[in-house]
Amino acid sequence: MALAALGLLLLGVLLAEPVSRAFSRARWTHRDPVGALLVWQAIGLAGGLSLVGSGVVYGLSPLGDSLPTAVGTLFVEWNEGHWPDRFDAVHLIALLVALGVGGRLVWVLSTMYLRTVRARRRHRDLLDVLATPWPDSPGTRVLDHPQPVAYCLPGRSSRLVVSAGVLEALSPEEVWAVLAHEKSHLRERHDLVVLPFVAWGATAPFVRGMVCAQIAVAELIEMRADDVAACRSEPHELVGALKTVGGSAPAAALSSFTDALDARIERITAHPCPLPWYSRAAVRLGALALVAVPTLLLLV
Amino acid sequence: MEVLWAAAHEGRGALTAREVQEALADRELATTTVLTVLGRLERKQLVVRTRDGRAHHYRATASREDHVAELMNDALDGAPDRGAALARFLGSIPDEERRKLRDLLD
Repeated sequence: MALAALGLLLLGVLLAEPVSRAFSRARWTHRDPVGALLVWQAIGLAGGLSLVGSGVVYGLSPLGDSLPTAVGTLFVEWNEGHWPDRFDAVHLIALLVALGVGGRLVWVLSTMYLRTVRARRRHRDLLDVLATPWPDSPGTRVLDHPQPVAYCLPGRSSRLVVSAGVLEALSPEEVWAVLAHEKSHLRERHDLVVLPFVAWGATAPFVRGMVCAQIAVAELIEMRADDVAACRSEPHELVGALKTVGGSAPAAALSSFTDALDARIERITAHPCPLPWYSRAAVRLGALALVAVPTLLLLV
Repeated sequence: MEVLWAAAHEGRGALTAREVQEALADRELATTTVLTVLGRLERKQLVVRTRDGRAHHYRATASREDHVAELMNDALDGAPDRGAALARFLGSIPDEERRKLRDLLD
């Protein structure tokens, strides 16, 4: 069991740092954003399981040959009213550290989720009073402001919002392209895809790999939404909308912002051919295997 | 809401439910309907109620422009805690960059 703990620790550290960093630099992900997002979810899940699991497995190793039997022994001895005497300080500390990290992650994730839900509710209340429904597209609201912005408010009761500035600056076809992009965020619940990585980033902001992961996932969901929008409208309309809205955003003064915008525009125009089916299948199987390894190490 | 904003704009301050109902006379709303809507707006912190003797006065918490500005702030600011609340067409801005942007704008 100590060996399994070591394996889990090694896997967790590898996933959190070098693997995350290397994967965030990979280019093939641009040709299969959905597959890449699945791999990211697998990296996050497997990394969390491994890091927390290694401490738990090591901590409980004196009590049994595998995690299930060790947990069983612990409960049996507890029910009999005495503390297992094979437990020494080192094992206890490992167990507490692991539970602490796991607890912290769950805590950050749930407070972040609650805060997000509250911020969204406030925003939605204001929108419902201030924004007027747009007759051309049901479910879309117009906010009376000259600055062009378009965004969506995810959640069970979602909202699509464009500012008057957007309607002013874009042709109707371009507005449709923007709406197709936002609708894909809403339909595929991209907000939930990003949430675990925001939580990881907030739990351990000092680990560079986690920050890389957060940025890479945010880029991938935009690629995915661009793909859907380019499919449902003409790619040049989407590019026109990106140029107009991006050019007038206050962030246009930042080089990194315009770089990211140029990269998106280039990707839509050049349209890299999607990965062949067997590569896509391999990516999905790889993601599954990534989660299976720590799960098996924990159980046997 | 429009009635309360107009009242604040004209410097009349807070209105009673009856005054709101009179301002909306053309819609022939029942007093209970007006009270229900005002209660809902109060729960959403868009309206504050003050008691003056037996009458309840309602007042908008902020002007229409202030609320629009708040929404635009949410929509343009990519702060991480709000980052997950909205999905922008242009994505959000990383932390350090946002500070630079604030400096540029100030």
